Amino acid sequence: MTPDRQPLFHVRGLTKIYSGGEVEVRALDGVDLDLYEGELIVLLGASGSGKSTLLNLLGGLDTPTSGELKYREEELADADAATLTRFRRDVVGFIFQFYNLIPSLTARENIALITELAEDPMPIDEALDLMGLGDRADHFPSQMSGGQQQRVAIARAIAKRPEVLLCDEPTGALDVQTGIAVLEAIEQVNRELGTLVVIITHNASIADIAHRVIHLSDGRITEIRENEERGSVKSLRW
Amino acid sequence: MHPLDLKLLRDLGTMKGQVIAVALVMACGLAVMVMALSLVVSLEGTRDSYYRAQRFAEVFAELKRAPNSLRARLAELPGIASVDTRVRGALTLDLTGMSEPADGTIFSLPDNRPQQLNLLHLRKGRLPEAGDHNEVVVGEGFAKAHGFEPGHELDATIYGARERLRIVGTALSPEFIYETRPGDALPDPRRFGVFWMNERRLAAALDLDGAFNSVAATVAPGANRRELMARIDTLLEPYGGQVAYDRENQFSAKQLHDEITTLRGFAMAFPTIFLSVAAFMTSAALTRLIRLQREQIAQLKALGYGSAAIGGHYLKFALAIVGIGAVVGGGFGLWLGQAMTVVYRRFFLFPELHFHPDWASAAVGLLAAAGVSLLGVSGAVWQAVKLPPAEAMRPEPPAEFRRSWIERLGLHRLASPSMRMALRNLQRKPWQAFFTLLGLALATSITIIPGAMRDGIAYLMDFQWTQAQRQGATVSFIEPGSAAALGAVGRLPGVMGAEAFRAVPARLRNGHRERRVSVTGLPRESRLNRLLDERGRAVAMPLHGLLLSAKLAEVLGLDAGDPVRIEVQEGRRPVLDTVVAGTITDFSGIGAYMDIDSLRRLMREGGTVSGAHLAVDAARWEEFHAQVKASPRIGSVMLTAKLRESFQKTTGEMMGTMQAVYFGFAMVVAFGVVYNGARIALSERQRDLATLRVIGFQPREVAAVLIGELLVLTLLAIPVGLWMGGHLTRWMIEMSSTETVRLPLVLTSRTYVTAVLVILVSSALSFAVVSRRIHRLNLLDVLKARD
Repeated sequence: MTPDRQPLFHVRGLTKIYSGGEVEVRALDGVDLDLYEGELIVLLGASGSGKSTLLNLLGGLDTPTSGELKYREEELADADAATLTRFRRDVVGFIFQFYNLIPSLTARENIALITELAEDPMPIDEALDLMGLGDRADHFPSQMSGGQQQRVAIARAIAKRPEVLLCDEPTGALDVQTGIAVLEAIEQVNRELGTLVVIITHNASIADIAHRVIHLSDGRITEIRENEERGSVKSLRW
Repeated sequence: MHPLDLKLLRDLGTMKGQVIAVALVMACGLAVMVMALSLVVSLEGTRDSYYRAQRFAEVFAELKRAPNSLRARLAELPGIASVDTRVRGALTLDLTGMSEPADGTIFSLPDNRPQQLNLLHLRKGRLPEAGDHNEVVVGEGFAKAHGFEPGHELDATIYGARERLRIVGTALSPEFIYETRPGDALPDPRRFGVFWMNERRLAAALDLDGAFNSVAATVAPGANRRELMARIDTLLEPYGGQVAYDRENQFSAKQLHDEITTLRGFAMAFPTIFLSVAAFMTSAALTRLIRLQREQIAQLKALGYGSAAIGGHYLKFALAIVGIGAVVGGGFGLWLGQAMTVVYRRFFLFPELHFHPDWASAAVGLLAAAGVSLLGVSGAVWQAVKLPPAEAMRPEPPAEFRRSWIERLGLHRLASPSMRMALRNLQRKPWQAFFTLLGLALATSITIIPGAMRDGIAYLMDFQWTQAQRQGATVSFIEPGSAAALGAVGRLPGVMGAEAFRAVPARLRNGHRERRVSVTGLPRESRLNRLLDERGRAVAMPLHGLLLSAKLAEVLGLDAGDPVRIEVQEGRRPVLDTVVAGTITDFSGIGAYMDIDSLRRLMREGGTVSGAHLAVDAARWEEFHAQVKASPRIGSVMLTAKLRESFQKTTGEMMGTMQAVYFGFAMVVAFGVVYNGARIALSERQRDLATLRVIGFQPREVAAVLIGELLVLTLLAIPVGLWMGGHLTRWMIEMSSTETVRLPLVLTSRTYVTAVLVILVSSALSFAVVSRRIHRLNLLDVLKARD
């Protein structure tokens, strides 16, 4: 990648401490990181390594205890709730392990939730077609398989043309075949729309498709590895 | 403490908002029950021991005049236990500081024999001494209203003669627990009083030397009261006797009995409504809790807890709410009961009226609440019990949704995604939606009651004293007079118009049903005292037949056109078989009316009058009062404006309290139902709502999604509730409608608007509380977990 470009995220000394009663947990401990437009990042780490905390801070779901967290020129570290809501609405698309679709809305209506908020959304059918879901548009979540639901979630996330797509264990609840199909869809978004994609996973084999792989342990970055040659999604196995 | 009980306590703590909401609704019902039944016990207990202690008579009879020697024959009648004869008369009073005259009833106390029945309970001073003294004992209600003490004197006119009466004592009588002019709906102690005087002196004043005109008796154990009354009637008939009546028809006793009956109705009606709502709320809350705790239930089962232990654990949850409701409701009920006792002391004059908590009814209430709640949660608990552990370990299958029928009708274009979510959620759980709607509708309907009562009273006052009784004053003669008497009244200062009336005591019969009433003859073109139909239109007096109060027609089971027998209790006691020409609407007392000339023909008399309705020049009231006080033939004067004033004052006080209580109850129910519904919806859809927040919905947009569903229910419930409120009010009015006082059903747009506002405000409050929780939703937790 080209480090001389302006980063989308500029992170310095990012620390998050959860104090629950008598116990204090340093979930994130002085993380320095820059993330760039068009990158596909995989965050690897064991449970409790801090990867979800980092993703939550990047997505404006939480605020750090200390440190610097900038999105372009906007300081997010001490932003108020309304600013963070606007940030999530305008900038970020989320994909979750359990899809988090609204069960009482069809695929099309779940996507409409986002397109009604966005300034310049994709047409809903375009988002659905992109994910190969044209024929499922009017199905409710309970009428779809897990993989289909996750693809609806991706369509929902990308329909507002976000600059950042944050994926928290997107294949965690899926079998290998379906997981690969979902990753293909995510990779496609990154490739075709130039969206910065950050994927959290336990699954080290997924790291092959990333531009950069970031290892976290005990709240610190232990390694940042750049893939000289990215593997194709189709060749993944786990 | 057993770990399951600890879990219960903590679960209750987590759900404290809902627990409190449900317990409060339950508390409202229990409070009314405890209050009403305790008051019933207090009133009945006090009444019965008072009746016993003062030997209150069981049978009464009035007559024209019988020699004292007849007393012995009365005492010998089979079936009689004891008998008192006495003299009874009317008096008017000229009180300093009060321009208008007051009036009262005066009774004799035996001189030279012990009083057998209706003993006075002396409060101050002593009884009158035998002999030729003008000593009187005054009823406490009147004495207190005027500040009379033993030693005070007052001027009265008894049977046309001016007397100066010296008060020697104040007392209470079991005959006047409700101290009103017979027929009046409410006590007016400023203008009506009861007096007792020694027999010889009063008999002389009433021109009844050596005679009596009133009988009180008790029935021997095992004897038949009706037979005794018939024997008394036969014996007294030659002496101008009117039919004997029993305690049930004694005016004061009847009032008290009616009040107790109304309280009993309340004690059933309100708790039924509130406990049903509370049971549904508990059921909804517990169903949700059990769904959330599926995995915990599975773990408990895996650990070896049996179905009984788990079922019992969740039943205890319902019982804990009942416990809280019982404590709060019981406490509030006792407080309310005590407050009502203070009000009752003003209406019902007992030596002492203490509030006795009725623990038995409290226990019944508690059992009813527990029973209804357990019934309500049994379905949910059964679900928990029968859940196989392996299945429970797995999360619930995802909720299935369909397009709502509104959308299938093609109306979906009107609905935003939020509204669609709301509609589909409602459709997925129709029963939950139905019961929430029912609870809200009940809350709305309760709110109708106070407004309807206020408007009913306003309507009644306007109807009674502006539309029907247009006379400024009604005077009654001490004895029926001639046309000349009417002329004299017409010449009183300030009198602008006079209309005669003729009233005779009579018994109306329809088969075995009968009522003692006064049959009033009125001119056919009556302009002052008008008879009106339910819409307030004047009813023309028919040439033949009787017009009856609708209530009287109801108790006699009569309709227009039905035959009815009139047995007059005065003069030659003629009997007339006639027909019911129609019914009229009135709200106080029961009456029968006929053309004055027809009545006179029946009585075979000329221009006899009992009194007159008068239009009086407002500028000349003082002169009018002064002249009335000086007129020996006038036995009583009723001033329309004063009646209205005292009615307004008395009911105004009662209504203020009642309105506050009803509004409070309605708000508790509305707030509770909406809050409970909102909390359950929030819990069920926490994950959806957090997802919306994560993808960029603002808190208020998320709140709108949740509130949309409840708003749909609230808006649907309001018209249903208004409709139910009309029926509930009608039912309450019918339940408390007695022969002495009735309230019309008046439903105005103001009442409806107020009810809608109360419900919307209560709902808005609970929305606000729940919205705060949406702000605090933990966005991170929900995303990790499967629902």
